Amino acid sequence: MPPLGLMLLLLLTAAAADDNLPGTGAAPLREPGLGVSASAPPLLLLPQPGAERGTPGGALARSAEEPAGPGEEEEEGEHHHHHHGGGYRVVQWEWSYVQTPYIIAIWLLVASVAKILFHFSQRFTTVVPESCMLILLGLVLGGVVLVANKKQLYQLEPALFFLFLLPTIVGDAGYFMPARLFFDNLGAILLYAVVGTLWNAFCTGFCLYAAKLMGVIDERVQADLLDFLLFGALISAVDPVAVLAVFEEVHINDMLFIIVFGESLLNDAVTVVLYKVYISFVEVGAENVQTADYFKGVASFLIVSIGGTLVGLVFAVILGFITRFTKKVRIIEPLFVFLLVYLAYLTAELFSLSAILSMTFCGIGANKYVEANISQKSRTTVKYTMKTLASIAETIIFIFLGISAVDKSKWAWDTGLVSCTLVFIFVFRAVGVIGQTWVLNRFRLVPLDKIDQVVMSYGGLRGAVAFALVVLLDGERVKAKDYFVATTIVVVFFTVMFQGLTIKPLVNWLKVPRSTSRKPTINEEIHERAFDHILTAVEDIAGLQGYHHWRDKWEQFDKNYLSKLLLRKSVYRKSELWEAYQKINIRDAISVIDQGGNVLTSARLSLPSMASRASFPEVTNVTNYLRENGSGVCLDLQVIDNVPGAKVEEDTETHHFLAGNLYKPRRRYQSHYSRHFMPLGEKERQDREVFQRNMKSRMETFKSIRHKRHKKERSLKKRRGSESKDGGEDKPRRNVSWQDKDPVVVPVESEEDKGGHSDAEREEDVGITFIARKPETPKQRPKSVPAALDVCQSPAAAPPSPSTGNAHLPWKGGVGSPPPCVSVEATKIIPVDLQQAWNQSISSLESISSPPALPGEPVHPRVSALARLGGPRPASYTPPGSTSGSTTSIGAQVSQGSFCFPENKKKEEEEEEEEEVSQEMRPLMSSLRPPGSLPPPPPPPGSAPGSDRRRNPCVYLRSLVTAPPPGSSEPHSRGPTQL
Amino acid sequence: MGASQTRSEHKYQDLAEKSGFSLEQIKILHKRFQQLSGNEETISRENLDGIPALANNPIRKQIIDAFFDKRNQHQDEVGTVEEIGFEQFLMVMSHFRPPTLKTTEEEKEAMRREKLRFLFNMHDTDNDGTITLIEYRKVVEELLSKSGAIGQEAAKAIADAAMLEVASTNVPHMAPDDFYEGITFEHFEQILKGLEMESRMHIRFLDVDTMTMRCGKSTS
Repeated sequence: MPPLGLMLLLLLTAAAADDNLPGTGAAPLREPGLGVSASAPPLLLLPQPGAERGTPGGALARSAEEPAGPGEEEEEGEHHHHHHGGGYRVVQWEWSYVQTPYIIAIWLLVASVAKILFHFSQRFTTVVPESCMLILLGLVLGGVVLVANKKQLYQLEPALFFLFLLPTIVGDAGYFMPARLFFDNLGAILLYAVVGTLWNAFCTGFCLYAAKLMGVIDERVQADLLDFLLFGALISAVDPVAVLAVFEEVHINDMLFIIVFGESLLNDAVTVVLYKVYISFVEVGAENVQTADYFKGVASFLIVSIGGTLVGLVFAVILGFITRFTKKVRIIEPLFVFLLVYLAYLTAELFSLSAILSMTFCGIGANKYVEANISQKSRTTVKYTMKTLASIAETIIFIFLGISAVDKSKWAWDTGLVSCTLVFIFVFRAVGVIGQTWVLNRFRLVPLDKIDQVVMSYGGLRGAVAFALVVLLDGERVKAKDYFVATTIVVVFFTVMFQGLTIKPLVNWLKVPRSTSRKPTINEEIHERAFDHILTAVEDIAGLQGYHHWRDKWEQFDKNYLSKLLLRKSVYRKSELWEAYQKINIRDAISVIDQGGNVLTSARLSLPSMASRASFPEVTNVTNYLRENGSGVCLDLQVIDNVPGAKVEEDTETHHFLAGNLYKPRRRYQSHYSRHFMPLGEKERQDREVFQRNMKSRMETFKSIRHKRHKKERSLKKRRGSESKDGGEDKPRRNVSWQDKDPVVVPVESEEDKGGHSDAEREEDVGITFIARKPETPKQRPKSVPAALDVCQSPAAAPPSPSTGNAHLPWKGGVGSPPPCVSVEATKIIPVDLQQAWNQSISSLESISSPPALPGEPVHPRVSALARLGGPRPASYTPPGSTSGSTTSIGAQVSQGSFCFPENKKKEEEEEEEEEVSQEMRPLMSSLRPPGSLPPPPPPPGSAPGSDRRRNPCVYLRSLVTAPPPGSSEPHSRGPTQL
Repeated sequence: MGASQTRSEHKYQDLAEKSGFSLEQIKILHKRFQQLSGNEETISRENLDGIPALANNPIRKQIIDAFFDKRNQHQDEVGTVEEIGFEQFLMVMSHFRPPTLKTTEEEKEAMRREKLRFLFNMHDTDNDGTITLIEYRKVVEELLSKSGAIGQEAAKAIADAAMLEVASTNVPHMAPDDFYEGITFEHFEQILKGLEMESRMHIRFLDVDTMTMRCGKSTS
């Protein structure tokens, strides 16, 4: 927010300033981020005049009317003059006025649209990382511009990069960094970041110099030792942007990720210092460097890194403290977060400390307190905004990388240098990692094995930071700058493209443990907390002052002082709150678990929202109920179910509620890095919750849900089967299975037009959903207790249905056997995810229902009618609608025994996602036709273009809801889609 | 102790084999043991209770109990003892040994089970093979006991919820009037399957004696 907002603000001032600075090349920047004048930033994105960028930082700020500018600008100028000189005009062409923001906006638009396009093909995106696509797009765009204009207009500007793009990414990464994980691995991270980077820098530098001496590198590359060391320094740092972009798609396990990513963040200090030291050496000339200067270099490293960290922490404290008092001005809470985090960055830059470190630590430090202090909505806002900005920044960076590469005037090629650099970088990275790991493993509790080392070596991606640094070089002093630029571009491209492309297969091949984005269960939470205490205790007993000992000390300190200072009273003393809510607000209670030892982890603690407040009394009931059952909490809600009555209903509801809340706070370490989607299950809960609550209320109005039950269960079973197949994959099964639930949820909405809007939310809705049956269905629900936990769906809504499904209720399976997740993809991108989930559930339904369906024919007429109705608009969708209809009706008749079926299907789903829809439909179609024609006819008419598919679910759902009367159902099914 | 130098060396060898600790580690732990026990042969609850660093630990009592629980001594007996010798002390400690690079998968699995067993025993205070709701509530209560006035109600609610979860995980088909007795070890394993015991539940036992040099915060 701050960057963008600021940018716009500055744009305005700059626009005003333009008149004052006619035609100047404008203030050159000496250092990245240093001394940027107010007028500079806004113009960063302006077309570059081309060759005139001699000084580091280049002529960033050019006035819009600059004559050297590209054609359109000149036109601009003219108009501008007209504007001043001419008479009154009704319509004026104010391009010069809007130019800069306009271009920025267009860029963003292009980048965002590009992303959408990339994700049209799920299959493609699973193979090719987005960053590669963006670079390619950049190459293409750059090529086009080059061809059109004969010279490159747009370039990745260091100042733009360091002041706006990088901070957004680092801010996002820092703020959502899983602090515990980070600090647990801090030792390793620091070692790799400092020693590893130094090692890489020196070795690369010296070896390149050696190569030069040996004549491998061409004579034209005029560089001496210092130049090569400088180049080694800037090229050796692993780049956070690239690492994030690639690793987040790989879903590597948390520890590995945090080590590589942490390294990439922290090595910034090393790189910056080395870079600056060398630059100053180069400037004074190698012969003038005195011994003292080397020590100064070392000192400056310490100052830069520690200073940066301190600045960050100071801002973290300020931020925490400020948010303590924002109760009355909730709306600007997010703003504070953005501003202060950004200020931490700028302040560090101001003193030429490590800005990345500063921002990272500000984010890490403040997160806990801020999250506890600010409201849920603010939390969501912060999260989304950060992710959005980071995503935009990342997109722009990669596109610009591509674009910059096209401009031949900027670089000069030397095969020797390029190939040597590539080899050295790779070799030294590997050697460095192996060496350091060997050392580390003597100290680490959890040693890093060979596979980890391979991934770490291979994950040493270079990126935009290196590029920005190399572009900043002073061509006067560093004669070989152009060669270095070319080499850097090649290195970046190679690491991002080639390694980025291959790392996923490599990880698969090596069977690197992946991260499971599974949410910890309550028991796991309890025990993790217990672990901490146990370990601390054992260390104390053994008289060791180990890690746990100190962590415990820190937590005590945090609890006793920091939290008191930085947290609102209401947050700090939760208990008062509870008393107000009669103490037994289960949700809060659970959140307390989250707080466990230290009262403050309330980051995820959600204060009761309105809705939940309303239902507290009910919660109390539940607990009472539980209590009445004495020691053996009657775990079988069935009992309740059997005795239909208001009370029961209430209880069930409370159970739902309880479940909804219970599951909430359970995750602790999740990497919130991903910028492309909001992790489904993760912190997103709040949104989900709100949504669920709404749903709940709507649910009451919803009557005819009979069939859904069936389907859901079927799909669940299906899913399960399929999931078990996919066992190896990362994706949490749970998510998937929950998604099945969505169908249930959505139907409710269908009656109201809101349906459409909630696609995304629904997606997120996936939390653990327990399904409670309505009391009326007593027998069918053998497993009632868990059932009672149904999160969102009101009990009333839950239709009576045959019970087989119960056994397979997702959560059970999910909880019991940590779900090896279905597809990695699923989590990634919401839209994709949605589609997939839908496809799967639909297909599962179909597959299940279809075989039995044959007997069930009678129902079909309706279905077919539906299908026809649905036809025109979302051509492909019709089938789903029909599916639902058929399934439901058929389902009722069909026995549940059929769930083995799904398993077979699974494979297909995964492999041919594209065609999934069509395949899925087949069963349907077949059911529509005479049973004999089972071998599915080709996919329905315009079979599923991605976007359409996405809607699919809605239609499907709607049709579900409204299925019975075909005629009436049609409008419904379509209406929502349009939303 | 000086007189029996060789004898204790020998004894250490035995212990090292039994517990898996290295000789250096055993020496260090022995020093600590003597420090705690005041140079006695055995150690009692009071000795452990008196450790100042433990004062803030919410589950201090359970952990101390675990040291005096025969089930954790790698023997088949049950029940508790009043005092433990160094060997028992070491055996309990050995539950927290980290794995090394050389440990095989099976060994890791065994270690994991062992740790889980330790945990389970800690919760299963009456030693009947199941963690009942009451026991579980107790655990949660203790866990929360230091987090301010959270209240027993809250703890109970959490424990209940956790119990529900266990039940639903492990006994998906519960007959209407079934009653979930408590968590058996198998169920316990099941519910904690997702936890990375491998990377938690370890502490580093020093190879060198740093007891005297209280150095700064370790980072890794």
